[in-house]
Amino acid sequence: MTCSAVDPLKLTQARRRVFLALFIAIAVSLHILETLLPSPVPWLRLGLANVMTLATLYLYGGRAAWTVSLIRVGVGALLLGRLFSPGFWLAAAGAIVATSAMIIMHRVAGRRLSPIGISAIGSAGHALGQIVAARLLVIQHEAVWQILPLFLLFTVFSGVLTGFFAALLLDELEKHPAFQPSAVSGKKEAAGPLISPGGT
Amino acid sequence: MKTPWQIMTGGDWLVVLLLLAVSLAGVGWVATAPEGTRVVVTSGEQVLFTAPIDQPHSVSLDGPLGPTRLVIDDQGARITDSPCPRKTCISMGPARHTGNLLACIPNRILVRIDSPADPEAPYDLLSR
Repeated sequence: MTCSAVDPLKLTQARRRVFLALFIAIAVSLHILETLLPSPVPWLRLGLANVMTLATLYLYGGRAAWTVSLIRVGVGALLLGRLFSPGFWLAAAGAIVATSAMIIMHRVAGRRLSPIGISAIGSAGHALGQIVAARLLVIQHEAVWQILPLFLLFTVFSGVLTGFFAALLLDELEKHPAFQPSAVSGKKEAAGPLISPGGT
Repeated sequence: MKTPWQIMTGGDWLVVLLLLAVSLAGVGWVATAPEGTRVVVTSGEQVLFTAPIDQPHSVSLDGPLGPTRLVIDDQGARITDSPCPRKTCISMGPARHTGNLLACIPNRILVRIDSPADPEAPYDLLSR
């Protein structure tokens, strides 16, 4: 055990950073996998990458959730070769609305909403963001709103499903020493997002 | 392993039922739109093609990627072939209600169903 000599707080912080890096990598992989998988209706996808954004939101807080979702969209588009294409802007708008909605609702509702409820709100936000971006950038016509209800109906189911996966994942991860509430002196973002490494 | 029912809180149910209600109301509203009488195809600001929906027809529309094939038959208007990578437009199926939309975003083809007072009227009667 070489870690016995290490400051436990630093060890926890290092562990948390490694987990966050893993979450981002998994989110990018899931995003690409889902985009490349053949599907009968290509514009309806489950949004499995959102499992990682949700887990990050619960374990690290809002800033880290932004890090995961924005890197996921950016790196995903880069690897798929569609950076700055219409599809990229739709995905980015969807991710921005979804992430804002999830962070706000998580903050407002606290324990009254489980990851399933937060995920349902996030996926509805994703659909809304995509349609708004499509209206502004791609199909400059009001008729585009007609797609929204069907899209929204699908997202209720996909959102509940991905939220359920996130809840199962969180159940497992919360047992890990990196995410024990006592480990980081109660401050949720102490080991924080990638944007401010090193901490205080 | 937990089931979703064990995880979901009262707040979750409220959110899910509310979203279901809103989307089902929207789906109902869209589905009960009257049947359209005219097919309009645009690419950006430019009108490529208009035709009445009740006459079977097949036309090739040129977008930046190549020709997109539009077929009008008794089911309505649908895209049967397109050079776009994901074929989303083909999977959208037929459109025949007023306001319905088929979009091939990569090829910049937008097919819309409307119902002007006179189906033969020139496009400039529509305000944009």
